[in-house]
Amino acid sequence: MRGVFQRFMKTFAKLFSLLTVLSQERASAGGAVEFIFYFGDVFTPVNFGLLLLGTIGGLILGATPGLSPTMAVALLIPFTFQLEAAQGLILLGAAYTSTVAGGAVSAILLKIPGAPANIATTLDGHAMAQKGEGARALQLSFLASAVGGIFGVLLLIFLTPVLARWALAFGPSHLFWLAILGVTVIGSLDSRSVVKGLLSGCIGLWLATIGFDDIMGAQRFIFHPSLGGGINIIAALIGLFAIPQVITMFARGRRQDGAEVMRVQKHPIGAAVSELLRNRRAVGIGTMTGSVIGLIPGVGGQIAGLVAYDQSRKFSPDREKFGSGHPEGLIAAESANNAMVGPSLVPLLTLSIPGSPTAAVLLGGLLIHGIFPGTDLFDNHPDVAWTFINSMLIGQVLMCIFGLYVAGLAARVAQVPQSVMAAVVLGLAVFGSYSVQSSMGDVYVMAGLGVMMYFLERFGFSAAPLVLGLILGPIAEANFIQGSMIANATDGVMPYFFGGSLNIFLIAVVIASVFYSAWMELRSRRYTSKEEIMA
Amino acid sequence: MKKLLAGAAIALAGLSTTAVADGHANYPERPIMMMVSYGAGGATDFQARIVTMTAGNEDALGMPIAILNKPGAGGRVGWNWLASQADADGYTLGAYNIPHFIAQSIKGGVEYSADSFEPIANWGADPAVLVVGADSEFNTLQDVVDFASANPGKLTTSGAGLFVGHHIAALQMEKAGGFSMAYIPTKGGGAAAMKAVIAGEVMAGINNLSDAFRAREAGNVKILAVADLERNAFLPDVPTMKESGLDVDNSSVNFRGIMVPKGTPQGVIDKLAETVPAMFENTRVAGKMKAGGSPMHIMTRDEVLEMWAAREVTLRELLAGL
Amino acid sequence: MSEMSLPRVQHIIGSGIVAAVGIWVTYVSYTQQPSEAFLFPRLISTVFVVLALWTFFKACLGRTRVGNGISARQLTNLLPGLVIALVYIFWAARGLGFYTATAIAFFILLSLYDPAPHGLVKSWVKRVIITACFMAVMYGLFAVLLKVYTPREILF
Repeated sequence: MRGVFQRFMKTFAKLFSLLTVLSQERASAGGAVEFIFYFGDVFTPVNFGLLLLGTIGGLILGATPGLSPTMAVALLIPFTFQLEAAQGLILLGAAYTSTVAGGAVSAILLKIPGAPANIATTLDGHAMAQKGEGARALQLSFLASAVGGIFGVLLLIFLTPVLARWALAFGPSHLFWLAILGVTVIGSLDSRSVVKGLLSGCIGLWLATIGFDDIMGAQRFIFHPSLGGGINIIAALIGLFAIPQVITMFARGRRQDGAEVMRVQKHPIGAAVSELLRNRRAVGIGTMTGSVIGLIPGVGGQIAGLVAYDQSRKFSPDREKFGSGHPEGLIAAESANNAMVGPSLVPLLTLSIPGSPTAAVLLGGLLIHGIFPGTDLFDNHPDVAWTFINSMLIGQVLMCIFGLYVAGLAARVAQVPQSVMAAVVLGLAVFGSYSVQSSMGDVYVMAGLGVMMYFLERFGFSAAPLVLGLILGPIAEANFIQGSMIANATDGVMPYFFGGSLNIFLIAVVIASVFYSAWMELRSRRYTSKEEIMA
Repeated sequence: MKKLLAGAAIALAGLSTTAVADGHANYPERPIMMMVSYGAGGATDFQARIVTMTAGNEDALGMPIAILNKPGAGGRVGWNWLASQADADGYTLGAYNIPHFIAQSIKGGVEYSADSFEPIANWGADPAVLVVGADSEFNTLQDVVDFASANPGKLTTSGAGLFVGHHIAALQMEKAGGFSMAYIPTKGGGAAAMKAVIAGEVMAGINNLSDAFRAREAGNVKILAVADLERNAFLPDVPTMKESGLDVDNSSVNFRGIMVPKGTPQGVIDKLAETVPAMFENTRVAGKMKAGGSPMHIMTRDEVLEMWAAREVTLRELLAGL
Repeated sequence: MSEMSLPRVQHIIGSGIVAAVGIWVTYVSYTQQPSEAFLFPRLISTVFVVLALWTFFKACLGRTRVGNGISARQLTNLLPGLVIALVYIFWAARGLGFYTATAIAFFILLSLYDPAPHGLVKSWVKRVIITACFMAVMYGLFAVLLKVYTPREILF
């Protein structure tokens, strides 16, 4: 026991040797202040114009179903061929930050998460929009995004050297436990029955194994050629969330059974600001979770929102209200989404390792101008590096202002009659899923999963745990296989997966999460129906 | 933007009855699509976008080439699609990676072989290199070989996947040195394999020269050897494996170029084979490639045909025992 | 939420299908080769099939509490829309071209579910205008701005 404790302390001492690292790496510590000198560069007419263009364009692209931040950035790369390096990166940086926030717009108004990051936003955000509180939901989401986003970029500016070590501390065994931690959330996420939540998660985990297995190259469950590449996560998201909603609208029929005429409530911006200030806990949890998880290469962006949502529910006294249009969950999810943007670029900018698909595309945007991330970037091209980072900082503010400005207008979407809405969402779903890879196969997958999900929902299953399974499956599997390969060649599977303080810490969190959920579940249901848990 | 132009080819493919019998004097009449079987942001995708960026010029093809990414399973998904589903009308090109797709076809379970495609031209050659972390105790290839010989199966070595250039290089090293190591394929391609080396998750790694060069510039890795016939212009100080006493040839060098599916009209192939190498030679293309640290190696259709045939033979021999 | 207590039969059919899929997935996972590649599917499918069978037996005993099922009225309401949507996605989008198919499907769905009386000329005009606006936005966004080249057969 004592040995474990000592190892624990050692690793923590290593990870938290923040001050020593900062004083050692003078170049970067000096660099942290350096960003101020390059603020002026952002405000030249051309640069600011590009920033504005990137922000507003990014919001529109982000709000379009099927266009994930990665795609939006990839779409913009060819434009940057013609621009100078710094200008190109301003465009890309602004577009990245605002597409992440823009994804919330379709998640709230249409219940179509534009990217995996926005899944958690649909849970409470769309419920708010349905109650006529769309304006409030959008305003809170943009404000939370800006707070989280600015915090994340500040972390990127000031703590990059420390964070880079953190990012590298996560090896296959740790990523495996992290994925398992995500799996423990599945049962309690947006489902009134734990068993059916877990079953939905299993369906998602199974769907994720379809296609060519990336490591072994084996074919698994491919019953149609368009499934060879596996199920595209964006197409699946659109199908699983949008199509059941379309069919539900059909099911109400011409007479619109059960639909009331919606009154969209106006919501003053000041009220949104003070509401955000009242929800400091949700903002804090979201921002911290987003920053920490966003840092981890290969995992972060996709699950930051969901983990933050789950955490803020666990800590909230109003946990029963989550899922029925409670702003806390929305705030936590959106602040986490944008908080992850800055840290997710740490491995790229310092170590030249793209930690996420978006970072990989941004790497292309740098290389095309002959700039190598790492020391070359900060030593030889500080103007490019800091202008890029500053543009993300100012981009957050612009995004927030613009978002707040249009929130009231956008919320009127809720007033669109059901008949029109069903047809619009269907059309958007088809176009959105097609444009992901210009592939008809993705549209078929989208429709197939969507129809399946409608019927599953009628029997008490839900989409969010299914999608979580779909995201976590490949992460858990690949890291497990890779980890066991390394383990078999070195000191064996048991010490590799269960040894080391970070592993033990993560396992402890997994166990705590399971027990806490179970306890909360039993406590909150003591007075309702015990039957439901097992139903 | 370019990527999405891609659909154009699919869309218009339906109208391909317009292709008239009188040869293909007017080819190309509309934008061309090029399938890349790796994701946006990867080395192949990045280079493909650069070398095709001048396609729209009058002295090149006169029509833009749009990139369409079909990633998955180490490239199998994209090449399966190109071999079995793409239209062979000259408006659907594909990027090839040698030795990847030939090795995969020898291993089986895919719908293509070297005979399913017609090469057009080669644009780049990215040799595999042996990298270790910057603070690794290994300083030469000999150190690595000694360790691997003394501890069979204990040297963990990351690479981008099974039956890709990195894996071929690992197999060749094992064969030449008579030792065995633990090859760890990563999901997420060369970038993930490089991360494993930098973070110390594995003891060594085999990676692309272009990515390793960048990582070394950033001070993260040491490059111990190049798996090629001669030293590379980007890394004049790094010896080849042959120089260091390990008999490894250039079979694992990742050759990248353009091909079309079999059945594409001969007139179109000839036209492309004539124009595309010239397009690669454009100074703007060369400048961008150099800036990005990507070694160029332009080869004509005939040279590529020869190279494919030679690879097929060596790879069959190498993979026979697996 | 619950408009009627659900007939047991529906839940039995629904969870029965899920259980059948679970059994099939488990069977495939344990029989396919190479076995290393199916390690994870085996793990997942084992949990999957146990949970699915549990749910199925619960449903057979009539102890299902969650999920409202589908009423006959909902089914008749949704069927025409669903059929049109599926024909649109699985055939028309490819066969007629994306924009043509979308315009037709959009207009039919709109007319089918619009509460306005079908006899009124005014409401038909309104629906035509809505369809035209929607198509203009889609064309502007996807074809002009994003340059997505979708399958096109008739018109555009």
